[in-house]
Amino acid sequence: MRLTDESPKAVVPEAAEQSLSERWRERLGGGWILLLLVVLLAVFTILRPAQFATPFNLSTLATDAAILLVVAIGQAFVIMTAGIDLSVGSVLVFSSVTSALTMLALSGESTATYGQTDASWGVIAIGLVVAVVSGLAWGLINGLLVSRTRIPALIVTLGTMGMALGAAQVITNGQDVRGIPALLVTWVGSGQLAGIPVLILVAVVVAVVAAVALNKTRFGTWTLATGSNEEAARRSGVKVRAQLLKVYALSGALAGLAGMMAIARFSTTTIGGHTQDNLATISAVVLGGTSLFGGVGTILGTVIGVFIPVILLNGFIILGIPPFWQTIAMGAVLVVAVYIDQMKRKKKTLS
Amino acid sequence: MKHRSIIVLVGIAALSLTACTTTAGDGGSPTGGATGGGRSGDNTNVALVLGTSGSPFYEAMACGAKAEAEKLGLTLEVSAAAQFAADAQVPVVNAVTASKPAVAAVVPTDAQALQAPLESLVQTGAKLITVDQTLADPSIVDSAIVTDNVEGGKMAAQEINTLIGGQGKVLVVTQPPGSTAQDQRVEGFETELATYPGIEYLGPQYASNDPQKVSQIITATLSAHPDLAAVFATNDQGAIGAITGLQQANKTGEVKLVAYDAATAEVDGLKNGAIQALIAQNPNEEGVVAMQTAKALIDGEEVEKDIVTDLVVVRAGENDKADKYEYKANC
Repeated sequence: MRLTDESPKAVVPEAAEQSLSERWRERLGGGWILLLLVVLLAVFTILRPAQFATPFNLSTLATDAAILLVVAIGQAFVIMTAGIDLSVGSVLVFSSVTSALTMLALSGESTATYGQTDASWGVIAIGLVVAVVSGLAWGLINGLLVSRTRIPALIVTLGTMGMALGAAQVITNGQDVRGIPALLVTWVGSGQLAGIPVLILVAVVVAVVAAVALNKTRFGTWTLATGSNEEAARRSGVKVRAQLLKVYALSGALAGLAGMMAIARFSTTTIGGHTQDNLATISAVVLGGTSLFGGVGTILGTVIGVFIPVILLNGFIILGIPPFWQTIAMGAVLVVAVYIDQMKRKKKTLS
Repeated sequence: MKHRSIIVLVGIAALSLTACTTTAGDGGSPTGGATGGGRSGDNTNVALVLGTSGSPFYEAMACGAKAEAEKLGLTLEVSAAAQFAADAQVPVVNAVTASKPAVAAVVPTDAQALQAPLESLVQTGAKLITVDQTLADPSIVDSAIVTDNVEGGKMAAQEINTLIGGQGKVLVVTQPPGSTAQDQRVEGFETELATYPGIEYLGPQYASNDPQKVSQIITATLSAHPDLAAVFATNDQGAIGAITGLQQANKTGEVKLVAYDAATAEVDGLKNGAIQALIAQNPNEEGVVAMQTAKALIDGEEVEKDIVTDLVVVRAGENDKADKYEYKANC
């Protein structure tokens, strides 16, 4: 809210001498979400060692998080510019539909095909390009509208959320595309490289590239600068409009990639699903310490923020805790996260 | 800044430590397969994965299963995702697989997307029962408990034909295509309706578990077709919306309403004249049968590959019957 009285992160000097309580507060503010993750892992491991802490469970846990993680990284960049992208779930569905239909058409099978097709890697590569480009296209629409018009990002992406899902339903007549290349499902969806599921590897690569882009490139600096204070950024030479366009395009493209991952994983499009992906990624990003008001954020935090609900769900089911409690716990964790975020910001503004 | 990186480092160290211990822990008990952690003796753990949490239908199924499991001496754990969607349910199924039950009874929310996760479940040695919905390749399923949705759709068409005397316009409100059960209800309904020459079929309208949207569909259809004779709602959310829409247009009772399911709101509608007939399933009984099948599988007995549970028509005035079949989560 108080965008004006906020000092950019980089110029806040490290206090020379801190009291013990101040230090603890900073620690809680900085690494508390990681502590929470470690505590959750430890608690579930102690309570159900032979069930929770198995290689099978930990690897399916990470696979469950992989698709959401790719989407959440795009969302993180958007939120760092003080924007928001509600369209990610619908864009994911749209991209998976265009990609699946393209691959089905190229493999020469009818649209009524149920089960897996024998499409080649070449067809799959084209499918991947179609998925990413479809996502990118929606991202560009979002970016253009956000940066060129005075329509708030919330409204722009709420609009494209409906449009992308509706378009996916129009193209498919609401019927999920069932014929997915067997190679994609076997080698990517449930395949492993060196014992690690391929979907996790994809997510790791995306996260590492994103972390480098955020911390080591002008793209990252400009993203944070735009979110920290748009006017100040503009005056110091940041091309704010172009930056916003790029950030929303990135979010769209990553949702498109996630769409490809989703068809590999589920071996079908999931038009009826992904309705909560936007809120799930926003909570993950906020849990990870990225401020909804922009200018502050980390990729590691986002990764942890994605894992916390996934681990909570998994652990609660293994412990046999009724499903409703998971929803309550997640909501509570989110509120506490934002409270701590506010505490951090208050402290920084004061110093 | 400095402090933060230290915390992160410590965290990563702690994390990798946890990872190490977990691997070691698992290596230490290679026999862990059938018996769950901290539990000894024969594995009588049964998991029930519902289609979604908070639905009266699935809660009633859970109630039936819980009561029967207690009777049979099974340890039952019920879980569900917050939405009826494959992407939400797959993590739940994976967690159930990790908890190593002897038998899992699952309502697969998508015939194809749940195939691979359920195959991993079966590979751990667990027996698999599907309930209410089915899989694309049922060869991994030990027993499938199903209702005949096509037959249910036909029953609805027959009721409507009787109610409107074989004459008039008929509308269907259902979920968008993709849910096998709902699609089959519409299919059965359309097949049967086509045999009645006096009926004009207006086709299906889609609303995804959204009574508000169904209500709008009803009022809009009434504007276009004031002589609408009957509506078939393929589930409880559709019925709730249809009741509201008909009330708003002041057409309650005049336009006949036949609805699938027997949720509390639908039973109330039947009693106060808003609904003329319900096609009721018996989720409580499906839960009971699932547990009996699970028990038989644990005991190594033969089970039937397909078990069809019954459907009943509840007509206006049959209040006792309505109470009997009402989807109640009373446990």
